[in-house]
Amino acid sequence: MRQTKRFAAIGTAVCFLLAGFALGETVRAQAQTIKASNAWARRAPAMGSMDKMDKSDKMGSMGKIDKMGGGGNGAVYVTLSNSGAQSDSLVSASSEAAQTVELHEVKNDGGVMKMRPVQAIPVPANGKTELKPGGYHIMLLGLKHDLKPGENVAVMLKFEHGGEVRVEARVK
Amino acid sequence: MRGLRVGRAITIVCLLLVGSASAAQFKGGLLTPPRPAADVALTTQDGKEFRLSRERGKVVALWFGYTYCPDVCPTTLADLSQAQQRLGKDAQRLRIVLVTVDPERDTPARLREYVNAFGGAFTALTGPPERLAAARKAYGVVAEKRVVPGTAATYLIDHSAFVYVVDPTGQLRLMFPFGMSVDDMVHDIKLLLQ
Repeated sequence: MRQTKRFAAIGTAVCFLLAGFALGETVRAQAQTIKASNAWARRAPAMGSMDKMDKSDKMGSMGKIDKMGGGGNGAVYVTLSNSGAQSDSLVSASSEAAQTVELHEVKNDGGVMKMRPVQAIPVPANGKTELKPGGYHIMLLGLKHDLKPGENVAVMLKFEHGGEVRVEARVK
Repeated sequence: MRGLRVGRAITIVCLLLVGSASAAQFKGGLLTPPRPAADVALTTQDGKEFRLSRERGKVVALWFGYTYCPDVCPTTLADLSQAQQRLGKDAQRLRIVLVTVDPERDTPARLREYVNAFGGAFTALTGPPERLAAARKAYGVVAEKRVVPGTAATYLIDHSAFVYVVDPTGQLRLMFPFGMSVDDMVHDIKLLLQ
């Protein structure tokens, strides 16, 4: 009787382990469907007055980072490929290089450029989305240091299904 | 008398041919007929007076933007700077000018820092709001401040994204649309410098 219980316990543990492996494999398989390539960032100055702002009024007023006229913004571009049969989307990005990172889209409305934040950037199943000037970009707000040509800026991309992908964007 | 008339007719035909040929040659949007570029009288990032009418002999590329703009403005300024480098010995005959559409935040000090970060490749202008508004009006530039939810930016500015190109005689000749290639920019600027 005791032995049976032990077997059952071991069996259950093995099952959990196997399930765990299976789950892990699934997550990993999903992560591999998204590939990020050709990541680059536009050269941009951090603008020195950011330091002064940090000491006096950390996030500016009302949580806005550019209220005091300090800080510089930058943009990161990347090509996102999805080899999976399910559509995915970039839902957020983060970077140590900036105070805040947002996803933005620029639309050309009869020669007038309108930039707006977006919740997500879709990447179609078996397709790709190119983030490029005048379209989608990852916006770095309140740069902590200059983005200088030849240097890299690390950005973590988070996808709805595809997990997280880290990219090194070359500044040019 | 008759010879004179024939001569005049030939001249007109030649002018038309030249006109249509050059119209076809330019890659950017051509203004036909060209018109005198409205003067722009503002202050540079170094506190110096700038007048567009004193830039005769150069091609002037006018861009209306702001330093918090992360995408469209630095892209255009970088492309123009690249075009300038490609002009070689004529590089000094192109003047790239940024006119701010955000005078509240783009102080001369901030503009100076911005220009320096880009290696001094362009001149940045600001001035009294009414003068900036007059410059925008003269070139048909739209710039509208937008307070937008979902961003840490205090406000964003919707703005026209053309480069206004003035030839060495002070005529507004071309408008470069956003995204025009550096090759095409170089091509057009060289034609204007001929």
